[in-house]
Amino acid sequence: MYPNLLLPLLGVLGAALLTLLLVAVRKPVVRRLALRQVARRRTEAALVVTGSVLGTAIIVGALVVGDTLNFSVRQEAYRTLGPVDERIVSTDPAAGRAIADRLQPLAADPDVDGVLTAEVAQAAAVNTHAAQPVAEPRVLAWQLDFDAAARFGAAGGPSGLAGPTPPPGQVVLNEPLARSLKTGVGRPVTLYLNGHAADFTVARVVPQQGLAGVGIGGRVNRNAFLPPGTLDAAGAGSTHAVTLVSNRGGVEAGERLTGPVTAGIRSALGPDAGRAAVDTPKHTVLAQADATGDALGALFLMIGSFSIIAGALLLVNIFVMLAEERKTQLGMLRAVGLKRAHLVGSFSIEGALYALAAALPGVAIGIAVGWGVAVAAAQIFRSWSVDGSGLDIAFAVTPTSLVNGAALGLVIALAAIAATSARISRFNVIAAVRDLPVESGRRPRRRLVAVCTALSLLCALAAVPALARSQAEQTYLLPALAVAFAVPAASRVMPRRAATSIAAALVLVWTLAASVIRPRVFDTPSMAVYVILGTLAAFSAVVLVSENQHAVLRPLRRLMNRPTQQGLATRLAAAYPLAKRFRTGSTMVMYTLIVLVLVLLTEISGIMNASIDQAAADATAGYTLRVDYNPQTAGPNPLTDLRTGQLARRIEAVAPLLQARGQATDPGHRTAEPLETAVVGVPDGATSGIAFRDRLPGLPDDKAVWNALATHPDYVVLDNFFGHTGGPSGKFYAPGDTLTLTDPVTGRAEPKTIAGVLTSGLAFYPGTGSSATVYPLVLGEQAVRTQFGPQAQTAAALVRTAPGTSPEDLAGRLQASHLSASMVATPIAADVHRLFAANTAFFRLMQGFLALGLLIGITGLGVVMVRAVRERRRTIGVLRALGCQAGTVERSFLWESGLVALEGTLLGAALGVLTTWLMYQKSSAFTGLDGGFPVEWAQIAVLAVLTLAASLLAAAGPARRAARIRPALAVRVSD
Amino acid sequence: MATLTSDATQPLLAATGVRKVYRTGTVEVTALRDLDLTVLPGELVGVMGPSGSGKTTLLNCLSGLDDIDAGRVEVDGRDLFAMSDGERTEHRARAMGFVFQAFNLIPVFSAAENVELPLLLTGTAPREARARAVAMLERVGLGHRTTHRPSELSGGEQQRVTIARALVARPAVVWADEPTGNLDSTMAAQVMDLLHTLNRDEGQTIVLVTHDEAIGARLPRVIRMRDGRLVSDTRQPELQAAG
Repeated sequence: MYPNLLLPLLGVLGAALLTLLLVAVRKPVVRRLALRQVARRRTEAALVVTGSVLGTAIIVGALVVGDTLNFSVRQEAYRTLGPVDERIVSTDPAAGRAIADRLQPLAADPDVDGVLTAEVAQAAAVNTHAAQPVAEPRVLAWQLDFDAAARFGAAGGPSGLAGPTPPPGQVVLNEPLARSLKTGVGRPVTLYLNGHAADFTVARVVPQQGLAGVGIGGRVNRNAFLPPGTLDAAGAGSTHAVTLVSNRGGVEAGERLTGPVTAGIRSALGPDAGRAAVDTPKHTVLAQADATGDALGALFLMIGSFSIIAGALLLVNIFVMLAEERKTQLGMLRAVGLKRAHLVGSFSIEGALYALAAALPGVAIGIAVGWGVAVAAAQIFRSWSVDGSGLDIAFAVTPTSLVNGAALGLVIALAAIAATSARISRFNVIAAVRDLPVESGRRPRRRLVAVCTALSLLCALAAVPALARSQAEQTYLLPALAVAFAVPAASRVMPRRAATSIAAALVLVWTLAASVIRPRVFDTPSMAVYVILGTLAAFSAVVLVSENQHAVLRPLRRLMNRPTQQGLATRLAAAYPLAKRFRTGSTMVMYTLIVLVLVLLTEISGIMNASIDQAAADATAGYTLRVDYNPQTAGPNPLTDLRTGQLARRIEAVAPLLQARGQATDPGHRTAEPLETAVVGVPDGATSGIAFRDRLPGLPDDKAVWNALATHPDYVVLDNFFGHTGGPSGKFYAPGDTLTLTDPVTGRAEPKTIAGVLTSGLAFYPGTGSSATVYPLVLGEQAVRTQFGPQAQTAAALVRTAPGTSPEDLAGRLQASHLSASMVATPIAADVHRLFAANTAFFRLMQGFLALGLLIGITGLGVVMVRAVRERRRTIGVLRALGCQAGTVERSFLWESGLVALEGTLLGAALGVLTTWLMYQKSSAFTGLDGGFPVEWAQIAVLAVLTLAASLLAAAGPARRAARIRPALAVRVSD
Repeated sequence: MATLTSDATQPLLAATGVRKVYRTGTVEVTALRDLDLTVLPGELVGVMGPSGSGKTTLLNCLSGLDDIDAGRVEVDGRDLFAMSDGERTEHRARAMGFVFQAFNLIPVFSAAENVELPLLLTGTAPREARARAVAMLERVGLGHRTTHRPSELSGGEQQRVTIARALVARPAVVWADEPTGNLDSTMAAQVMDLLHTLNRDEGQTIVLVTHDEAIGARLPRVIRMRDGRLVSDTRQPELQAAG
């Protein structure tokens, strides 16, 4: 989701550095000035570099997280597919051989370097020879020609399944299955094939790579490889014939031939095409790798962008202070003939040197940050998966990301420095030479007013269609810009402070109210809108407070007026924030921005935690277990056994779910690619307790929707995550919208209308073996039978436990008693809790990443205080001469820092709570979280106290230095 | 006047054998060499001498702004350098006022806030402190500029605010370091007139560093320095009354 900006970034950076180099070469005075300034104040130079380092580290860290996730998902292609590029599954066992025969000529296709046909059956396995018997219900039993498997795709690399054919009675296990069964080579193992137990000895255990990790759609496959004839002997009822095709080239290179090879396969299938499903699993996995890497990389970049803004502000702040300190010498330089452009050049060269010095350490720290995030993410993803097959995180860094991150960090730093330099180089030469104050209260120039007013009108005009269409970013940005550009004109008719305050208040109100007025503004997969929202809210609120500090600090007046050293310390602490509004504001906004997002994440976690029980109730509608099993095994029907067997007294109700594989168009029109769909047919009345968040007009309640589903085959229901690929979910479709549902085996396509959007569709997600991007689509039972025919099978059920029965206990018993049917029983509520816990952990991870931004804010405050001590040496000397104690000076600096940090933190916390509340009210991302809106006082208080303590710590050094200033020297200080 | 010394014949300030050495790396510069000086209450003393002679160092050391390397400085019989830094700071707040060449007003405080500062530091109630600050500003002709910040005042006005701040707590002694150095001749004359008036009418003790001979010529007592030593101490009693 983030564009690859490498070339444009390098272009801009190269042009900027080349320009500065030219200036440095052609203007020796400018170059000398810049270099001497760098060498003059080493502490400040180190602090500027620190700020830039953190900024670059955050960018690189976010990109490395993207790399790692992309690489990790890509590893799935190596692990579970290896040479397999296409997979052809026949649903009709009788047609399997015919289909395989039709596909054999493909082996001669120059684009193909392997065709392998195998039989696969869903199975279960038990190791009764372990200390405690261990069972694994999720096993794929493969019957194949081992010699052909060893040769399969060998031109592109090892197939993953080399070695001799095991003799009858022996089996080859892959590592996940051996691990799950706690067994090894030479040990006995029992496999349930087609419902019958058969004993085998483990011939060897092979790593989960290539063919050894292959599956029929799952992320982690627990495979047992059997010699030819074994499955046939167990009965062919539950087997599928699978033909695997390897394209020419290695694991990733072969994927590029997917298009032509797939066309060749379809052509080769001829009239049997209707009896086989053709998959392109590697293409899907690699596309998914890119999408996942990009989505999560973009998420961290979005979170990091707040810190990056804070880093840019730090640079702006430092350069404004440097310019103030150097005012007299800059004035002199201008007086003796240095042009304004040369001053800009000098500052820019100085800044570029700082930024360049920061680039390498920034990249190094960014890699470390990315690694830390990846390690934490690995833990979270492991607990995120449905069947314990979570994504294995493998750390990876691409040179592109490193160059991208370093270049972006440099460009942002250079842009901030250049813009600040241009601003600070505008001064009155005489006023600067004589160290006179800037003329205040001057009205803006006519030209500026005219340009800004025109821009204001343009933004206002452009805002109208943006608002009408609820375009997310523009809805927030354009009205805010229109108001901001109107300030110069307003300043001609009212005091500047009043105009600025009114503008800031308007922007703040709009930022908070936009989602109320345009509720669909959050219906976007883009995360830029959240960055804009947070930035606008933080900046406008800080401007409002900074411009009105007199009113804000009124409660402190009594304390400030006390005729004591304490009173003086308070008065001094408040005096500079009151007088230096820009500097105070730009420091404060760093705190506000970061704390806002930290509190927002805290609040979202709180909302989720408060909603767990309700979410579990919504997801289950009273059902406590979901069971998935192999319907084709011989023996008693598991469903009948659930109703009448030994465990029936522990079960109150069973709702069978008819299942089929389908493909659907995206009703939200986000992609033209067909979406892999788990089609679920529900019996009439069985699930009428499951709630809907939106219903088709005319359907008065949830029951009416379920009734409509039973009587109208054209109706479907789905949840809010249909077609969702990451990032915040929006409201992309509504009841009444349509989609086309296709049976990939027969090609039969039917238009469907959405009758309702489920509050939670968790109970309908496949319980075993499916990849992350299979979306459930629920229809009436009869509608599924009609469209999908024999492909549709009752392979799952929702189970309501009897009162007093533990779902976890029953799940264990069911799995044990239905091992031959590979039954997997999942306690739904526990699953909801696990998912929520993983989500909360993920939010913690993002908070940790964002805390780096807080570090920038605190560093910024430290820098400001270091500079403030230098700048106020004379004032401190006078105060000490007049009788102000050293401790009072120290306290005044500490309290000043504390005041800025406290104001910024409180403002951020308040905005964070308010913004989350508004999003909670209006954003569909919070659908299904109905546990209310808790304010996480304790966590917010801890955050505020820690931030304040860290800020005081950052200011302690400068404050102590201030207290040690000798008055006799300070009163004579000129620089 | 709440001076520390009530007896006009007893020295308000007595410095004996004061020595001050500045050290920069391995280089040592002796700024004051065993200097002795007494100042009586109500005196207006000028300290003159060429640049680098130690005038400002003398002022800093006698006022306790800077430490000394040897000698003794007594204020009303109390040894200034026997006090702790806190005591000396408090003593400065109660007994001394300062006027600097560069004005050195607190830039973020208004004129009235600058002037009331010494009063608040010595525990005067805020309301009274403000009233006295405004009254003092009126006395120096700035009653209409009380709410203005230093950046909004001219150089002469700023120096008058500094004088008001130095005097508002009725200190025993006012130290003025080149108070006219940054002013044009008209402004400088106005400021010197003000200091003379305060000395003559209220008996305010003032020690003034200047290199301006014209100003020195109007002072009732002038001490001259060279190379850190006091080379002459001239009194013109007739000027004490004339101002």
